Amino acid sequence: MTRKNDILTPEGYFENLQDRLSQIPARQQPVSTVRRIAPYFAYAASLLVAVMLGNAVLKKTAAPAQDDNWTYVSYLADALDPDGAALYEEDEWYEDGEQDLSEDDIINYLIADGISVEHLNYVNYEEGY
Amino acid sequence: MDNVERLFNEIVKDYSERVYWHVRRFVNSHEDADDLVQDIFLKIWTALPSFRGEAQLFTWIWRIATNETLNWLRREKVRAALRFSTIDAEMERRIDSDPFFDGDAADRALSKAVAKLPEKQRQVFILRYYDEVPYEEMSEILGTSVGALKASYHIAQEKVRASLGEFDGGD
Repeated sequence: MTRKNDILTPEGYFENLQDRLSQIPARQQPVSTVRRIAPYFAYAASLLVAVMLGNAVLKKTAAPAQDDNWTYVSYLADALDPDGAALYEEDEWYEDGEQDLSEDDIINYLIADGISVEHLNYVNYEEGY
Repeated sequence: MDNVERLFNEIVKDYSERVYWHVRRFVNSHEDADDLVQDIFLKIWTALPSFRGEAQLFTWIWRIATNETLNWLRREKVRAALRFSTIDAEMERRIDSDPFFDGDAADRALSKAVAKLPEKQRQVFILRYYDEVPYEEMSEILGTSVGALKASYHIAQEKVRASLGEFDGGD
């Protein structure tokens, strides 16, 4: 154990720390622009191929006929609830993955937005926490 | 190995331990100090090519370390508020549950008193009392006049004494 007055570190910690820190330059080697954007190109290309294939399949298979049952259901729903609010669950307001916010995302957002801790405490107090 | 990498390795060898102790006093946890030291040295590596040598190397490193530590503290404050707690309560909990704390009750009381100081006073107190940084260097690190730093340290000392007085009285 290494100690500084009243606090300790695990045995051999500083040797280990120096080893890890010395590896930073190797881990952070500059990457060329072409290499950096190559995965995005690959992603865009595969997306384009998928869209073209899907479009071709749809053109061949899609029937022009309208689903009369669905038209009737839509008509009834509009008549009963013109705003359409009741048709949607809260989860459907979000796209997939939009709600997967981590605590760090929220914290970074609050800091970037300049919301102070005092304000958060005030809101907590107002809400009775 | 180029010159920048060689300089970086020198900095790691000469300063990593001092930076660790400085950060550790702030965050009161070995694990968080370890993470933060890595972030600080990553920043140092990224900024090293733009280091012009106008400031002393020590001052430059300490400026990065104190900025990163303050950013960490700001994030922790928000994190504590989101948990309907306060940073003071969180720090007190860390000091009480730190497995690497090896002081007596008075050392623990001192750590808690320091943790309760406002951000700036805490910074000045840790730099002066624990790191023993001269006021002139502190002035360059924090961008504050020597007079203001002395006043700040005096106020911090008084607050720590008052907290320790409460501790003595409480026993």
